[in-house]
Amino acid sequence: MKRRSAWLWCAAIAVYLFLYAPLAIVVLYSFNDSRLNAQWVGFTFAWYEKLFHNEAMLVAARNSLLIALAAAAASTVLGTMAGLALHRYRLRLLPVLVLATIAIPEILMGVSLLIFFVLLNITLGMVSIILAHITFCIGFVALVVRARLAGMDESLTEAARDLGATPAQAFRWVTLPLIMPGIAAGALMAFTLSLDDFVITFFTAGAGSATLPLQIYTMVKIAVTPEVNAVSTLLMLLTLTLILIATRLSPSVLQTENRR
Amino acid sequence: MNRAWIVLLLALAGPGAWAQTNELHLFNWNDYIAPETVERFQQSCKCKVVQTYYSDNEELVAKLAAGAKGYDVLVPTSNYVLGMAKAGWIQPLDHAKLPSLKNVMPQYRGGAYDPGNKYSAPYAMSITLIGYNEAKIQELGVPVGSWAAVFDPKIVSKLNKRVTVLDSQSEVLAAALKYLGYSVNDRDPKHWEEAKQVILKAKPYWAAFNASSYIKELASGNIWLVHGYSNDIFQADKGAQEAKQSFRIRHSLPKEGAVLALDVMVVAKSAPRPDLAHQFVNFMLEGRNSAELTNMIGSGNPNQDALRYIRPEIKANKAIFADERSVKTLEQLKDMTPKQRQLLNRIWTEIKSR
Amino acid sequence: MAPDRSRKWLVGGPPLAYLLVFFAAPLAIMALASFRAPGDFGGLAPLVLQDESGAHLNVTPEAYATLFSDFLYGWLFLKSFAYAAFATVLCLAAGYPLALLIARSPRKYRDILVLLVILPFWSNFLIRVYAWMMILGPQSFVMRALNGALGLAGIEPVSLLYTPAAVVITLVYVHLPFMVLPLYANLEKHDPALLDAAQDLGAGAWQRFWRVTFPLSLPGVYAGAALVFIPAFGIFAIPDLVGGTGGIMIGNVIKQQFLDTRDWPFGAALSLVLMAGAIALSGFAALLGRGTRA
Repeated sequence: MKRRSAWLWCAAIAVYLFLYAPLAIVVLYSFNDSRLNAQWVGFTFAWYEKLFHNEAMLVAARNSLLIALAAAAASTVLGTMAGLALHRYRLRLLPVLVLATIAIPEILMGVSLLIFFVLLNITLGMVSIILAHITFCIGFVALVVRARLAGMDESLTEAARDLGATPAQAFRWVTLPLIMPGIAAGALMAFTLSLDDFVITFFTAGAGSATLPLQIYTMVKIAVTPEVNAVSTLLMLLTLTLILIATRLSPSVLQTENRR
Repeated sequence: MNRAWIVLLLALAGPGAWAQTNELHLFNWNDYIAPETVERFQQSCKCKVVQTYYSDNEELVAKLAAGAKGYDVLVPTSNYVLGMAKAGWIQPLDHAKLPSLKNVMPQYRGGAYDPGNKYSAPYAMSITLIGYNEAKIQELGVPVGSWAAVFDPKIVSKLNKRVTVLDSQSEVLAAALKYLGYSVNDRDPKHWEEAKQVILKAKPYWAAFNASSYIKELASGNIWLVHGYSNDIFQADKGAQEAKQSFRIRHSLPKEGAVLALDVMVVAKSAPRPDLAHQFVNFMLEGRNSAELTNMIGSGNPNQDALRYIRPEIKANKAIFADERSVKTLEQLKDMTPKQRQLLNRIWTEIKSR
Repeated sequence: MAPDRSRKWLVGGPPLAYLLVFFAAPLAIMALASFRAPGDFGGLAPLVLQDESGAHLNVTPEAYATLFSDFLYGWLFLKSFAYAAFATVLCLAAGYPLALLIARSPRKYRDILVLLVILPFWSNFLIRVYAWMMILGPQSFVMRALNGALGLAGIEPVSLLYTPAAVVITLVYVHLPFMVLPLYANLEKHDPALLDAAQDLGAGAWQRFWRVTFPLSLPGVYAGAALVFIPAFGIFAIPDLVGGTGGIMIGNVIKQQFLDTRDWPFGAALSLVLMAGAIALSGFAALLGRGTRA
């Protein structure tokens, strides 16, 4: 109790308000009785009804979720390995490559991957999108895991080794639980990045693959109707539900296990 | 919430069943075809239309230039056709399969952009002109019959920075050239320098370069005058009426002239189903189908046969269907050489940085 | 050290291989492209030209020559750096208290508090920015209140939309979770016993923070700063939407090369210089950090 001061509470609540003010507008305007959605006209559920009949939008939402789950899973695994390697070993190229994936402008990555896929005759579709997403997510996971590892108490791992554990066991039972919050944070970021990506997805998508950003960004001139607000609201709720279920199943993955 | 889960499950199951049937891959602007039209075509060809979208010609070109395949029908603007043909991305149309091509008004056929309609069939068109908030403009007494409303500091300054201009180097240059009395396709660097000066002088009075949300801003009353596309301005007026605003949004076709953008259908060279593609092109050349888009978004229509299906108030709108006198002042943009594009981009970057 | 070396490749090998194939190879293609000429209609001109004197490589450093000889682009790089740096500092100021609060909350609330930070970002980027345009526009409740207060003080009404301030505010908003999450991941593991000890030794609250918590959290600060600054440096969507007529950053110029001018070599050259700059800055910052580690 003594460590949580009043000013910390105030600052934190102010930031939460900052985060949620636009979101309140997004959710509120999903009930707006106006196609152009420029001003509040009246309350209606019509857009949610339209959404349930809009197969294209629902398929796009489903695709986005699947891609995000797949890309987040793979990039979390690869990114954690990269983070470990960055912290522990000296692999000459890895630090530069990891930073480069974050620094590269999205357009360049999109165009270069498209050229690359075409060169290798890889058909564009969901798989090409997932591969592209993994590429830009790895760096984010790696940096978060490395930040978690920095300054970590290596003596625990050494003690485990001294007690006869193999490197794999030391990793599984000592290191992994200790860095789990970092991995979980990285996974959340990767999922978020993938869910909302437009530029890279546009270039690496096939002729029939649709994701939610591809639907929405191209509507940008005219038809960003409240339906878009509705699908965003539902997607947020759905994702939150899925993740809450996941955290109930695997206990407190975002927290270090109790040491006492 | 129950309904949501059911529909989501159906959505998961649904598309799988379609995968085996005939598919036409249409790569088009978003909201540029009426859902009823798509539905009717799907019935008539017993196939499924799979749509993917772009929001700018350049996005289409960039994807094709990088090698993307799998599309059947594309809908670029006319000035891109010859370049795309030369680059080997589109195939010649089989006119034998397109009996409805004769519906196109003579002045929009082939011509300079595609002699003999070898590769393309006209789809829809729009004019880039001035849109404005009728009430505010009357109140302030601003003349909107000329591009001076956008470029003359004495006039624009009356608008309290509630003006936006398209975020497109070619469109803004074209408008400035028209204001100066030149052709939109004038490539003289000296004239471009003049245009640059005109733009820089007017820029302090503009709020933003905006190609997307200006419709909303017009309809909500935040912005009072825009440089925009005729069908967007039509939508803005619809939106304002829907929101029960106290003002209407009107078009004005400046007396110096404007850019006419004619969008055309082409068939990709690597199209998986050229037969379905031609069926679709012919379908969209029929008057009734072509008119549905116009009635939906207020786009101009180059199809003679479509005229009898178009709503009278749209046909009467001089900014959508320009009258005889104004038509002479309209020009279609032509493509530029790489060096010209580089010069324009340098000018544009400088304009935006100052 | 042999077992250590094989473990090095076991752990570092797969991500390295993946990045080499799906990142380095495509990037190399574009690096080569930066030395080629733009195609007549789009894309790239052929790499090998046949003419009377035989076949020769059609390469030219023209893209880089233009880039480095024209001050305009250097200015835009500096401007983008300034915006990104400022946004990063603000992100840190806003994100640190939040991460600290969550890390010190009772265990049962931490998960949900972290998820609440990232939940808004599962909605679509565009409508979030549109919502900001509404908030910053002249008709919103916030702006009307602000202008009302300014009016009382006799100051002209201001519009935040279409200004540099709007760009910075939106940049901070969009990148905030990428600062909070790495910070949280680091702060969460701090041993409260250290702070207890410091307090027992007579350190006040600020001293406990500045001399114990903050130094220990530096790796989290660097990760958060990197994950905010580097992407913000090259962003284009936000200046386009809320930046007004002067809102252009180097990311916009890059985007225009691919989606307007069709000058891929120049776009590639700009991108490579951007990347080199960002990586060099990170390396520099990391060196500084190592020097000050207690």
